Amino acid sequence: MLSIFLWMNNVLTAIRRRAALLLVALLCWGVLPAVAAQQPPQEQPKKFDEYVPASQLPPAEQIPAARLVVGAYSFVIVVVFLYMVSVARRLNTVQHEVARLEADVKRTGRS
Amino acid sequence: MPKWFQPAAIVCALMFAATPIVIANAPFESTMGLVFKIFFYHMPSAWMFLLGGILCGIASLRYLINGAARHDRTAFAAAELTVLFGLLTLVTGPLWARKAWGTWWVWDVRVTASLVSWMIAVAYLILRRYGGPGSEKLAAGLALFGMANVPFIYVSVNYWRTIHPATSVVPTLPVSMGGPLWFCVASFLMLFILLFTMRVRLEEQRARLDAVYLSLDE
Repeated sequence: MLSIFLWMNNVLTAIRRRAALLLVALLCWGVLPAVAAQQPPQEQPKKFDEYVPASQLPPAEQIPAARLVVGAYSFVIVVVFLYMVSVARRLNTVQHEVARLEADVKRTGRS
Repeated sequence: MPKWFQPAAIVCALMFAATPIVIANAPFESTMGLVFKIFFYHMPSAWMFLLGGILCGIASLRYLINGAARHDRTAFAAAELTVLFGLLTLVTGPLWARKAWGTWWVWDVRVTASLVSWMIAVAYLILRRYGGPGSEKLAAGLALFGMANVPFIYVSVNYWRTIHPATSVVPTLPVSMGGPLWFCVASFLMLFILLFTMRVRLEEQRARLDAVYLSLDE
């Protein structure tokens, strides 16, 4: 009688252990992935040692080409225009001075 | 002014008005993109800068040999244009380099030699302006050094390690890029000739003015 009681106790203990293991396995299989899915994704470390096309760089790191091109063309046009005006003015002044002096020379009769 | 001056000035103005359209229709260079368009003004400016240095040197050499004042006037006019086109080259180059090289300036052999040549031209003008009597011959000697630097500037990219494009770039350009480039070169050359004519004329008029003052003093 006692041996039957001990045998039944062992069987029940084994069943409880297996049930506990099954419960833990179910929890691991169903619940943990769901919990993991709710966590924010971990950020991947930035790979600075790889080639990044300039077009994919953040805006702050890009050099605007349009501003440089407009600046270059504007500089050339403005400087050339100012130089032309400068030479034309100097030439005009000198030519007027020559004409005035030559007229004076003629009027006074000096050669 | 000579008879051809006004028609040439009109043609030059029309050509310069057309350059933005011609350049806009040129294809983009694959690695540099939009900033490559600076090349169409930078390179002709650089060539006119070198042409000015050569003209100034040759005229100075002739002045030192035979002492004719007209050679001195030619050298003076060419030196001023060397400073003008050198300034355009040295400003448009860094604007291009900022994007293409990631830096405004490098002490690269061609860039540095161009700066030295430009400074020689500036020194020539300063000497002529403040050197007093006799400075013409000193300035002419200086101009010879400026001219000697020109071939060095041109070939330096082929012999020294540099990030500046080599002289082989222009001949290998496709027609779609070479056409606009040669159009810009022609426009800049015409501009150079017109400005040079004006500048020489100014020196001639100054010489005439001096002659008139002398005749009044006598």
